[in-house]
Amino acid sequence: MAVERLGSILKHLSPGSPLSAITSKNADDIVITLAIRSPLAKARKGGFKDSSVEYLAYAILKEVKERSNLDPALVEDICMGNVSDGKAAYKLRAAALSAGFPNTSSAYSINRFCSSGLKATADIANSISAGNIEVGIAMGVESMTIGGDALENPFDEEVTKHSQESQDCMQPMGWTSENVSRDFGITREEMDKYAAESFQRAERAQKAGLFDDEIAPIKTRIKDANGEWKEIIVSKDEGIRPGTTAETLGKIRAAFPQWGPTTTGGNASQVTDGAAALLLMKRSTAIRLGQPIVAKYVGSTVAGLPPRIMGIGPTVAIPKLLSQYNLTLDDIDVVEINEAFASMAVYCRDKLNIPWEKMNPKGGAIALGHPLGATGARQVVTGLSELRRTGKKILLTSMCIGTGMGMAGLFVNEM
Amino acid sequence: MASMLEFRTPGFNPYSVKYSPYYDSRLAVAASANYGIVGNGRLYCLGLSAQGVQLEKAFDTNDALYDLAWSECNENQLVVATGDGSIKLFDLAVDQFPVMNWHEHKREAFSVSWNPISKDTFISSSWDGTVKLWTPTRNVSMATLPVGCCTYSTSFAPTNPALVSAVSSDSHLRIYDMRTPVSAKYHLTVTIPVHAPPSGAVLPRLRSPIPGGPPGQTYAGAIPSEVLTHDWNKYAETVIATAGVDRTIRTFDIRNPAGGPASVMMGHEYAVRRVAWSPHARDILVSASYDMTVRVWTDGSTMPPPVPPAPGPVHNPAENTVRPGVQLGLMNRHTEFATGVDWCLFGSGGWVASVGWDERVLLWDAHTLLRG
Repeated sequence: MAVERLGSILKHLSPGSPLSAITSKNADDIVITLAIRSPLAKARKGGFKDSSVEYLAYAILKEVKERSNLDPALVEDICMGNVSDGKAAYKLRAAALSAGFPNTSSAYSINRFCSSGLKATADIANSISAGNIEVGIAMGVESMTIGGDALENPFDEEVTKHSQESQDCMQPMGWTSENVSRDFGITREEMDKYAAESFQRAERAQKAGLFDDEIAPIKTRIKDANGEWKEIIVSKDEGIRPGTTAETLGKIRAAFPQWGPTTTGGNASQVTDGAAALLLMKRSTAIRLGQPIVAKYVGSTVAGLPPRIMGIGPTVAIPKLLSQYNLTLDDIDVVEINEAFASMAVYCRDKLNIPWEKMNPKGGAIALGHPLGATGARQVVTGLSELRRTGKKILLTSMCIGTGMGMAGLFVNEM
Repeated sequence: MASMLEFRTPGFNPYSVKYSPYYDSRLAVAASANYGIVGNGRLYCLGLSAQGVQLEKAFDTNDALYDLAWSECNENQLVVATGDGSIKLFDLAVDQFPVMNWHEHKREAFSVSWNPISKDTFISSSWDGTVKLWTPTRNVSMATLPVGCCTYSTSFAPTNPALVSAVSSDSHLRIYDMRTPVSAKYHLTVTIPVHAPPSGAVLPRLRSPIPGGPPGQTYAGAIPSEVLTHDWNKYAETVIATAGVDRTIRTFDIRNPAGGPASVMMGHEYAVRRVAWSPHARDILVSASYDMTVRVWTDGSTMPPPVPPAPGPVHNPAENTVRPGVQLGLMNRHTEFATGVDWCLFGSGGWVASVGWDERVLLWDAHTLLRG
């Protein structure tokens, strides 16, 4: 009580700047007490190539349970972002029960394509805010190896005949990348230069061990060349190609020559499997349970745009979110934008005038990979790790979303 | 500046001061130990005599005291708002213990105000987001008005016994009319968003800054922040002044809730904790702030209207309808946050009592500020 009275007086004294408004500490803030991710392994060839979605969910939930020192019975809801697996909700529930969460906890899955991990975070945070639950886990899991739920059959013509944009929703993401580079004049050279920088940053970060505090090594098994099961521990991101330069990327042929010449396998996001998880609760709950407060979730928003250029999603979501909190990009210390393709990454960086040093300082999806449902949460984990390392405070995450949307989230580092 | 009468409250930090409506020589101070964060409270009943300010009676309470109001129907009684949410009625003829104790608020009670017209009811507001209406003879509240978030200040209208106003941390000023039938709105009749631009404002106008104001504050709108205090004008029945964390005092006319502030007074360097309109002049008010100053202002209503700017490329005819108020004087004798002010109703007018966390009660003549 005395703490709250003191907090109330301190809030009166704050200069009232928008930055102080979001960094202030209130008992009802939604805070993250644990932020971890699995390493991102190459799809089809890497460490998780024989791991099921439910196994990845089980493994990351076990890590959450062990690292959080929290009685699992206190977790009331678990939300998992996953895009490809239509049965994800079943698998999550089974995984949670096996990982040691009692049947009194609940679980569900969520799909807003590449933003699913961030959407899971926002949903659990809003649930706690509204008083529906007290403690929740927001996570994302994707096995790009298994994939599934690709759009094989076109949609009902009765629906799509009314709107070109409706038909555009069926198009593959590579087509949208070529649309972005063509419409906005992004050259192959710029894209390769951006991609090379992403690889180099990730390589430097990995060599310096900067990912060590965010990665939870996962024990799993793979079938070796003889078809025998072998136990392995996956502990490092596998997507990073050492020694990548713009010249080496320039030699790679276009991936979608039928649509355009700029997008290649080298300047698009790596295809990887992975998982990430965040443990959320109110600040007052965290203090009461003795949980360390890693960061504060401030808010998030989503905005829509034409599906054919879905890649520029962050350029609508980020200004919208910043204006909701009266902030500018100068107030942000790290901007994590998902690098679905170098075309949209270059466009977003230049359109929003983001200083390149602030944007994906440890590399992005081009180097690390983009497990669709996990990326939203993965960016938060990586961004917070970088803020801790540099002693800075404000993290802005954003991604484009297939079918034409963008989502952005705002976090404050408190460690 | 001219001499001041002083009273010290050692060990307790005052939060509120009120002159008695019955006696010109009596006032009371609500104070709390440890700046009201933790510890007891003490209610000081003071009297002015030839020897200066003297302690007539003191009452101790379990928890901090944040506000007080003299009874309008009994010259010896007063109510206090305490940190544990209880409202206590003290009688100067009864030692030590309150004669009534109402404990319904679930969190700290921040303000209490007595009805000056019907004299038989008083209201309290609390951190629990409610305003409760009480009468001294019943031991339960008569009505509870939901505000929804921490309500720092509540008051009756000085001319209409049925109107209740409340300001809260969601930066809104709410007016409740107790004559309306109880409905889903619980008597709420007017809601004024203190920081919103006037409705219908053309976008470029939102950019026009108040000169010298903090960044983000414009004539038209500002970043919402907590409103800590408000007061009804004693002459213009529909004018209310509000002030709070954004260091700005705004006046509103409740007949035009969406019209934005009628007058804006900027100058305080930290949050404003209390405002009080003068009972002797329709345009003078005094404010106490965390910047340790007590300032006297005119809201400009007795001055000619501001001249609109010459038409330019982006001319908006409604550009300068917000009147900037003028600071008339500044009292900076307090060496800690100034938390309470009240005007004396009696005498030649102009006497102000101010209290601050420096454990001092100061009585001084605001007119000396205006001359000096």
